[in-house]
Amino acid sequence: MNHQAPERIAVVGFGPVAARLVDELLPAVRAGRVLLTVIGSESAPAYNRVLVADLGVGRTTPEDIELADADELRAAGVNVRLGRTVRRIDRPRRRIELDDGSHDPYDRLVLATGAGAIVPTLTGLNPDPAAVHLLPPGVTALRDLADAARLRETVHRGGHVIVLGGGILGIEAALAAAEEGARVTVVHNGDRPLARNIDHGGGKTLARTLRAAGIDLVSGARSTGVRFLPQAGGRHRFEALELEDGRRIDGDLLLLSCGIRPRTGLAEGAGLPVAKGILVSHRLEADKEGTIFAIGDCAEVRCTDPACAGCSGPGGGPAGLIGPGWRQAEWLARRLVPQDPSAAGTGGADGAPAQLAAERPGVMLLKARNVDMASAGAVEAELWDDEVGSGGCGGTIPPRQVAQWADPEHGRYVKMVTRGGVLEGLVCVGMPRTAAELVLLYERGSELPADRTALFRLDAAEQLPDLSGPADPAASLCRCTGATHGQVQEAVAGGCHSPGAVGDATRAGTGCGGCRSRIVDMIEAHLQSAGAATGTS
Amino acid sequence: MATHTHCPYCALQCAMRLAPAGRMAVPAGTASAVAETGTTAAGPAPAGTVLEAAGRDFPTNRGGLCRKGWTSPTLLNSPERLTTPLLRGADGELHPVGWDAALDRAAGAVRAAWAAYGTDAVGVFGSGGLTNEKAYQLGKFARLALRTSRIDYNGRFCMSSAAAAGNRAFGLDRGLPFPLADLDNAHTVLLLGSNVADTMPPFVAHLQGTRDAGGLIVVDPRRSATAALTGGGTGLHLQPSPGTDLALLLGIAHVVVQEGLADKEFIQRRTAGYRSVARSLNAWWPERVQAVTGVPAELVRETARRLAEGARRARAGLTAGGSYILTGRGVEQHVDGTDTATAAINLSLLLGLPGTTHSGYGTLTGQGNGQGGREHGQKSDQLPGYRKITDPAAREHVAAVWGIAPDQLPGPGLPAVELLKSLGRPGGVRCLFVHGSNIAVSAPDAGRVLAGLRSLDFLMVADFVLSETAAEADLVLPVLQWAEEEGTMTNLEGRVLRRRRAVTPPEGARSELWIMQELAARLGAPSMFSDNPETIFEELRRASAGGPADYSGIDYGILDDDSVPAYWPFPAGSAGTPRLFLEAFAHADGRARFTAVSPGDTADALHRPGELTLVTGRLLEHYQSGAQTRRVAELSAAQPEPRLQLHPATALPLGIGNGDMAEISNHRGTVRARAELSTDIRPDTVFLPFHFAGEQSANLLTQAATDPVSGMPEFKTSAVQVRVLEKAGSR
Repeated sequence: MNHQAPERIAVVGFGPVAARLVDELLPAVRAGRVLLTVIGSESAPAYNRVLVADLGVGRTTPEDIELADADELRAAGVNVRLGRTVRRIDRPRRRIELDDGSHDPYDRLVLATGAGAIVPTLTGLNPDPAAVHLLPPGVTALRDLADAARLRETVHRGGHVIVLGGGILGIEAALAAAEEGARVTVVHNGDRPLARNIDHGGGKTLARTLRAAGIDLVSGARSTGVRFLPQAGGRHRFEALELEDGRRIDGDLLLLSCGIRPRTGLAEGAGLPVAKGILVSHRLEADKEGTIFAIGDCAEVRCTDPACAGCSGPGGGPAGLIGPGWRQAEWLARRLVPQDPSAAGTGGADGAPAQLAAERPGVMLLKARNVDMASAGAVEAELWDDEVGSGGCGGTIPPRQVAQWADPEHGRYVKMVTRGGVLEGLVCVGMPRTAAELVLLYERGSELPADRTALFRLDAAEQLPDLSGPADPAASLCRCTGATHGQVQEAVAGGCHSPGAVGDATRAGTGCGGCRSRIVDMIEAHLQSAGAATGTS
Repeated sequence: MATHTHCPYCALQCAMRLAPAGRMAVPAGTASAVAETGTTAAGPAPAGTVLEAAGRDFPTNRGGLCRKGWTSPTLLNSPERLTTPLLRGADGELHPVGWDAALDRAAGAVRAAWAAYGTDAVGVFGSGGLTNEKAYQLGKFARLALRTSRIDYNGRFCMSSAAAAGNRAFGLDRGLPFPLADLDNAHTVLLLGSNVADTMPPFVAHLQGTRDAGGLIVVDPRRSATAALTGGGTGLHLQPSPGTDLALLLGIAHVVVQEGLADKEFIQRRTAGYRSVARSLNAWWPERVQAVTGVPAELVRETARRLAEGARRARAGLTAGGSYILTGRGVEQHVDGTDTATAAINLSLLLGLPGTTHSGYGTLTGQGNGQGGREHGQKSDQLPGYRKITDPAAREHVAAVWGIAPDQLPGPGLPAVELLKSLGRPGGVRCLFVHGSNIAVSAPDAGRVLAGLRSLDFLMVADFVLSETAAEADLVLPVLQWAEEEGTMTNLEGRVLRRRRAVTPPEGARSELWIMQELAARLGAPSMFSDNPETIFEELRRASAGGPADYSGIDYGILDDDSVPAYWPFPAGSAGTPRLFLEAFAHADGRARFTAVSPGDTADALHRPGELTLVTGRLLEHYQSGAQTRRVAELSAAQPEPRLQLHPATALPLGIGNGDMAEISNHRGTVRARAELSTDIRPDTVFLPFHFAGEQSANLLTQAATDPVSGMPEFKTSAVQVRVLEKAGSR
């Protein structure tokens, strides 16, 4: 190893993805190979945003969703700056300027600024993205600890929460709030909830399930405005949501769940290319020099190849899922600090692969108790669909196939979209074991069993204990000792009328003892029939 | 008059009585049987006497035996029994030879290896099946007579990961830190990767109370006989994809933290490191765990809640309360086995289970003396009493007991897999002694091990049958079986038991203690070597005194009265320790340690197209490599050959029907086995038992990749291809 000066790495943003990067870089920080600065705009270090809805309904505590400990990081030598934002990036001088006027130099800069909630265009709300922190009382997004506290207050007193938006985060929050005792209405504009992630049949099944869980579902609704109740002392408080058709829905809290928007302002200001997110290559580079990187919700992976499967999907933008963000963080850490080969485990690969592996279109799993929904990939294909362009000459690409099971009465629905037996998409509602198995097979790209019903049956009622007729005398009755039905029957007939006596004669029942009740049954049956035969019973 | 001893096989060490056939005086389980004394007034039966076995009432097996135990005496009079040393001649065949010549030849081979390559060219491979006395003297023999650091044992294949995790968390490793009977009243038992219904059937009786309470939770990719015990409302079966146990445990622990189920008071008072573990768990919410393991999120939650409920009930003083978490080889025999066991321990600490009278964490030791075998210096890094060989104070203590200078003790050697990899290699072992182990069948990547054995200058195997390993040897020394010897065993609870002689050994077989004594004399070893087990145990007591596994207060007199249960640590003047950690854990500050762990990659890349994941395991009828049980007619008739278990949906496109011969292969080897179609296994997984040899040996397919902490090999996730060889009935 050479003894060059440690590299200065600055990380802007301290959410879950940044926290993972910091964790991965920590050994290099401890070894003095890296000087690490991380700047978070919230006063708390990273916490698990996935669990903010749980926090909002009082199921967990801020402490329990922490992902980082600022003191511990500082003790390890990380420069942790909380409650600070970065005003601008001075690329020529390789330094960042903070809102307190201070400057931090960097050799490498990682943007992990995440995404903020979208504020919909509604009369009464300021649509400026920067105004999301200035929402009026009774209106909130659900992204950070302060949002969670607002939701918690309403849920705690059993108030009425109106969730605006039928996306996955909105539905999760709605289910959690309903289960914790709030009255919940979900207002969304599609014909079914989760319209972006789920097909028609699955969505209809899910809608029924949500209603059964006590949620008021207002579908196909366009909301136009927000009404406020004047309050003494200034700011008005949320009173009702107004719909285009003239309806108004009164409530205590309006929870905006209308999607997220990557925070790209800082990158834009620095002249970095931006589309929906900060544009990065497959090596997560935001600039040509490979000095600035972007990861997580703020980053949009895009290369020059329009057919590239590894880029963010059509329609673009970051996935908004934590898994890909964490994989980016892990990959980038290996890229920034090539691993010490001596630290590699058995068979472990050292160093980062040339470029980040492509992500499959993400899996959506509804995070809720007692309501089970999974979807992934292409879900829109329907039974009997003729696929355009398939089945033609060449024929090297097998056609897309759909297998489906629907039982709306019992809230069960599954669709498997396959090509060559491998899942391209799936929807599964109300069948948790099937969902778990399908998601596993989807993630691995494994071929499904040709008998697709093997998968449906995973959620079948457990097989009842066998009530078969008379047992084969040669079949073993006692697994542990191998004693057979015939041997036991013979012993019983020969005068062994207690389990102990049968055990002495045949060993049956002397292992785990699990068959003793059956031995007792056989003895009783024998005594009864013997008694009947002699007329003494 | 029957002799009271314990079964030769697994770590449950079922109490049994041995008597000449037809002379079993008192039926098992009666009061008079209990009153029978341990010693046999009349002395052992004459050589060649046919014995029979019966269960004996004891807290662990409650009079029960499984088929292996019932039939165990058969092997004493087996025609395949070795009764004379065998030396490989110039013709390449093994020929009978006298004991003096055999021992001279062995000593000569050691000296030759010393002279040509140095003392570390001599190696010893021991066993978790050896008595404490043999294990202890073998460690001493390696270091003082063979003067080598190169000793390790087959326990490295089974217990090392759980042991490493236990030491890391609690400061001490005793498989079960509580008596087995404590399980009887438990409300919830989480059993991970252990198939006790097949491996140690009498154990299952201790799960009945939990099953009655609906609280048995079994984690296994197969619906094993044990997993089937959860049916009918008696519990839950979680069926994760192989190699994902760690993620599953993190998910359960996540729910415990997030749903406020953790025992905060316990964590605050008795542990260290909670915050960092809680933070790391944060990343493993149930739906994410589901996507990795295939276990539905709701079952992850239910498991967490059930465990917490059991702990809560126990704290509230309810009789049917308490939660136990038990791990077995299924979750431990992985490249991340130590971390997986650690995750199970972390979960138990979050719930406040260890170090209480009502709940706990334990690992189910497998081999007969798998516990004692890891305490007395058979491990490459250890000295007697579970002392570290690198600890100067430990070296000084043991050297003093042995009457040598500390610097006469070699340093740490190589763990088993590394030791076997070094066979015949430059700088590696050239002359190997194998005691009580059949590594040609039981070691991972067995084909490579076999090649290693064949490249040795000299291989000596001590065994009582011609095992597959013995068949490779230059010299085979016939030794005693369990019913022919005296000694002690330490069962899965850490309770020391007496093994007693019931029959005089056949003429020509010798005790391993005597063999070591003879060779030590021929090699000019310092200190004392004995052929008397009690003499050795007396020295073991002193050598272990003050160590973690302290036996100094135990003697044969105490053990001969089974009413005094001898749980170690048992320092002189104490009454032993049935339950560990009630006051404090064994770290200096008395606190248990949380250690944050996270899943890594499996050693083989899994789930590539056309490949299945092989898991290996046991059958009820066989034990270990099968060297013994395959030679018992009743057991061999019941399970004559391995069967490849696979899901019908998997078999269908492969054209494999029930009973067809299949070939299972990967780049390490090829195995042939008859197919058994079953919906009890996941479609992505196939199962082979590892008790068979030759082209039926499952370990031809397993890999020698090891856990970085424990040196434990990866037995449970091997990528394989399966094809049909021959349809059933086609010949």
